[in-house]
Amino acid sequence: MVIRCGRLDLEVHTLAERPGTPLLLLHGLFGSSADWGDIASTWPGPVRGLDFAGHGGSAWTKGGAYYPELFVADADAVLGRLGSAYVAGAGLGAYVALLLAGARPNAVPAALLLPGNGLDGGGAAPNWARGSEYLLQASSTEPATGYDPMVRTLGGDPRPPDYARAYADAASNLLLVEDGSARPPWWEAVSQSSKARIINGNSSEALTLLADLPGASQPASAA
Amino acid sequence: MVRDVSVEPKYLGTVPPERRWNFLSFGLRLNILEWGDPQAEPLVMTHGMWDHARSFAGFAPLLAEQFRVVALDARGHGDSEWADNYSWFVDVMDLVGLMRSFGKPVFLLGHSKGGGQATDAARLAPECVKRLINIDGFGPPEMDDLRSPPLIMADVLDRRRKMRSSWRRYANLDELAERRNAQNPRLTSEWLRYFSFHGATCNEEGWTWKSDPNMAVGYGPWRPDWIGPSYAFVSMPMLAIIGSEEDTWGPLPPAILEERLSRIPNLIRYTVPGAGHFVHIEQPHATADVVMDFLRQ
Repeated sequence: MVIRCGRLDLEVHTLAERPGTPLLLLHGLFGSSADWGDIASTWPGPVRGLDFAGHGGSAWTKGGAYYPELFVADADAVLGRLGSAYVAGAGLGAYVALLLAGARPNAVPAALLLPGNGLDGGGAAPNWARGSEYLLQASSTEPATGYDPMVRTLGGDPRPPDYARAYADAASNLLLVEDGSARPPWWEAVSQSSKARIINGNSSEALTLLADLPGASQPASAA
Repeated sequence: MVRDVSVEPKYLGTVPPERRWNFLSFGLRLNILEWGDPQAEPLVMTHGMWDHARSFAGFAPLLAEQFRVVALDARGHGDSEWADNYSWFVDVMDLVGLMRSFGKPVFLLGHSKGGGQATDAARLAPECVKRLINIDGFGPPEMDDLRSPPLIMADVLDRRRKMRSSWRRYANLDELAERRNAQNPRLTSEWLRYFSFHGATCNEEGWTWKSDPNMAVGYGPWRPDWIGPSYAFVSMPMLAIIGSEEDTWGPLPPAILEERLSRIPNLIRYTVPGAGHFVHIEQPHATADVVMDFLRQ
């Protein structure tokens, strides 16, 4: 299914079609919905996978502007079709899932945050000392497979912990998957929120825990 | 209603650009205007939000006596293409790309938002910039929306769901200029008619701005207290210009301006008497004189 977000056509994959509360999957940086494999089989309802702008089957942004809040708008466009949905994100998709869950707490009963590509961003605060080397790397138009080269700029966006924490506190429920590896400052701040619960395990096990939250298995219609 | 070039408003001291060309930046066509000898040293100019390159037409010719003045219509503004989305960073990248296209360091001048972006471009690509001039582009004093980020984000998402594709239309140029007067009360009606004529387009249904209305819909973690620390990394000489008079935008409260500018290692400051935020439009000769002195050093 293709949906319109602003001036962009975004690809939304139907990964499972069955009665229940929808789950929206948000992939990591440079990835696509194909990265989720057969994870949809573990969710007791319909599953949609969004390809962010500049990724997978979605349109590339004319002019090359990408930052996480624009991907929140991408995901919000799908949420608008679904009405409400649980959300799971990996890497950059986890950060986007957090922001969406905080901005739309009534439409996102819970969000699952998984590690993955693009989780860190540019750190807790801007790095003013970086110069041309960063600029050349971020704006390299060297062709890439499966994504717009300009999404490389997403490696440098600052993600302040207090900013992330405000979204966490506004969200309904958050599940953060830990595997013992280092996490960025924004993740650490989110994990301190009363809305956050830390869990261990792989993504399929985490989805099972998400599905056990109240409301996840209630029948609903999906777009 | 067909736009008739014979009705182009005249404004004393303005000179039409001598050359016009396109610069392709990340697939987007940007409109470039030039004044002065093409062999002279380039002086790149970038305008502010909802402004356009033609508004330099009264100021650029004064500097074109010695420099090749190159004024950019920022993406989504003037006669440059509209993008699908906008970000501060790609605006800065447009500037850096344009400067690199000259193959040698250039002089760089920006006004308002363009001043802030010129300063960022100079910090990020110091090898491109010999000297920097920022005209009242030192950022807002504080966040204009003090609500929690997720509440602001929810509003932004609501507005993006209802993104409009064009501005409202005005029956004639005078109405358009009157609308702009609400934002620029210090500028004369003659100037606003000149500005609006070049910043708008007209068809059978009326006059409307050329700029992309969707530029206003964005949000992120940026905060004004990031501005001062970034200035510490501006390595080339910088001229900071403000007007002496209060205006709808700027100058900043003195304490905030002092705090930010105090970080700049190599700074010259100048306050132009009798000017508000649009310093170079209200006092083009006085502003050009101080810029010329600075660039000749």
